[in-house]
Amino acid sequence: MMTTPLLEIRQLYKSYQKAQGIFGRKTIQALSDISFSLYPGQTLAIVGETGSGKSTLAKLLVGIETPDSGEILLEGEAVTISDYKKYNHVIRYIFQDPARSLNPHQKVGQMLDDVLRYSTQLDEEQRQDKIHQTLQQLGLMEEHADYYPHMFSGGQLQRVALARALIMDPKLLILDEALTALDPSLRAQIVNLLLELQKNTGLSYLLITNHLRLVRHISDSMLVLHQGKALDYGQTHEVFSNPQHDYSKKLIKSAQS
Amino acid sequence: MILLDIKNLTIELETAEGLIRAVDRVNLTIREGEIRGLVGESGSGKSLIAKAIVGVLNKRWHITADRFSWAGQDLLRLSYEEQRKIIGRDIAMIYQEPSRSMDPTAPILEQLIESIPDSELESSWWGRPFERRKKAIALLHKVGIRDHQAIFNSYPYQLPEGVCQKIMIAMAIAKKPKLLIADEPTTALESTTQAQLFRLLASFNQLKGMSILLISHELETVARNTQTLSVLYCGQLVEAGETATILKQPLHPYTDALIKSVPEFQPDLASKQPLYALPGSIPTLQHLPIGCRLGPRCPNARKECVKTPVLDRLQNHYFSCHFPLQGKK
Ligand SMILES: Nc1ncnc2c1ncn2[C@@H]1O[C@H](COP(=O)(O)OP(=O)(O)OP(=O)(O)O)[C@@H](O)[C@H]1O
Ligand code: SF4
Ligand SMILES: [Mg+2]
Repeated sequence: MMTTPLLEIRQLYKSYQKAQGIFGRKTIQALSDISFSLYPGQTLAIVGETGSGKSTLAKLLVGIETPDSGEILLEGEAVTISDYKKYNHVIRYIFQDPARSLNPHQKVGQMLDDVLRYSTQLDEEQRQDKIHQTLQQLGLMEEHADYYPHMFSGGQLQRVALARALIMDPKLLILDEALTALDPSLRAQIVNLLLELQKNTGLSYLLITNHLRLVRHISDSMLVLHQGKALDYGQTHEVFSNPQHDYSKKLIKSAQS
Repeated sequence: MILLDIKNLTIELETAEGLIRAVDRVNLTIREGEIRGLVGESGSGKSLIAKAIVGVLNKRWHITADRFSWAGQDLLRLSYEEQRKIIGRDIAMIYQEPSRSMDPTAPILEQLIESIPDSELESSWWGRPFERRKKAIALLHKVGIRDHQAIFNSYPYQLPEGVCQKIMIAMAIAKKPKLLIADEPTTALESTTQAQLFRLLASFNQLKGMSILLISHELETVARNTQTLSVLYCGQLVEAGETATILKQPLHPYTDALIKSVPEFQPDLASKQPLYALPGSIPTLQHLPIGCRLGPRCPNARKECVKTPVLDRLQNHYFSCHFPLQGKK
């Protein structure tokens, strides 16, 4: 593949200082030497357990934290924390629990309008069009703009969260355990929606998860993260069929037991 | 021997609009030494059934059954207190909400000690504190926690979820139950810890002959770890039988959809191809369809389906559908 990666991470390091005792300090190396690339229209899964550095990685990508060293490149350009608002359009996030990330006192249409007003130059009519188009794209109806979050079922709420992320036409969607807790029939619906969007719009996904359940089906490549280090990294089917590290072997085996 | 035998279990909730039937005439049997899975989507009534069996639902719930027997004894003929005594002695439950199984305000040692019934103790009363402590340590070893010192004085929130889940199992097996009901015991856990816990449960089943009712919404995990399976949809039992048979040849459209929606069970499905998904979503209790509750989402529905199908069988394979997928011989 000779195109520029949409997202490229080069030798990322991040450590935290943790107080220990009265004067002591302990350095925790949350991430060391992490590199990967994600191409347009592709899905990369970052697989690891709690404490593996997944959340740190997510925080670095959102711009909540800055790396000690290393680079984050977006379409070939280095990103710094001051660009946060600029690249906020390009990268959007979906969290595990949609209900908790939505304001219960705000109608869905209002919420989507806020997103557009804050980040685009669209006028009122253009915003309304965009809202209706996005709702429709996600299998929701125009009327849903007048609903409050509690009026939706779990599956519809996950669609609303997706609508909020997708209304900015991002190029990369980060799914942080967003599919793990869903019921099977709902999960199948959302997975299909994501696959279709990717096919039609060339959207890329970064799937952060500690469950291998869907990784094999929806991701093109995967990276196993363990104690801040990247273990196996490569095409999903290759990692599954021929994991190199003991930890990855254990992980893959546990998904089949 | 059949341990638990329940027929037409119905659980209704008292509301301002009248009684709402959350669980509709469900049958469930569990044999000695059997591991049965109970699967169904969120809200299908799995936890209600479990809680009805152990008798912890409050008075707002009306529970009825045509049969409810334990080890051959008809519990419906006994008083509530007598029922509770038998069930409390023989059945243990790991709750989906950890706070129901564990006390967040008490250290682990204290909780473990409390879970050991007096009947398990041999010493006279002055030897008991020592014996209880010894038993508590042994219980932790059984669930694979070697370093008991490190956790005895900890509170649940200070420990990783996987460790808490193991302690809950330790407390549940303290009374040597004949049946363990595990409600989503591993959903919150990471895959490697999940696998460990299933091995643990399987070993208790094999060594002690303990029966297990494994409740989960993940068909994959349940399929790998059970011999028999009951599938619920919206409070109705749609299919039950041997796990392997059901996976190979589901008779009910819902089970069929459930199996097809899991990529792992579809080896021929190329990566990134759409998964099979039923349209629509599960109705809420306030808007239950009449007749077969799958009706509005079922690809095979016909007008007969407005009548609730009765449970039918093909040998040991039970299903409730007017138009089962493999024509009945
Ligand atoms: N205390 C309650 N008050 C009102 N409705 C309740 C209550 N508890 C459960 N229900 C309803 O009863 C139905 C069955 O609930 P139950 O908890 O048994 O589902 P479940 O199959 O265990 O789901 P999950 O997979 O989410 O644990 C649901 O529709 C639920 O909303
Ligand atoms: S009874 Fe009818 S609606 Fe219900 S599962 Fe069977 S075919 Fe579908
Ligand atoms: Mg439940």
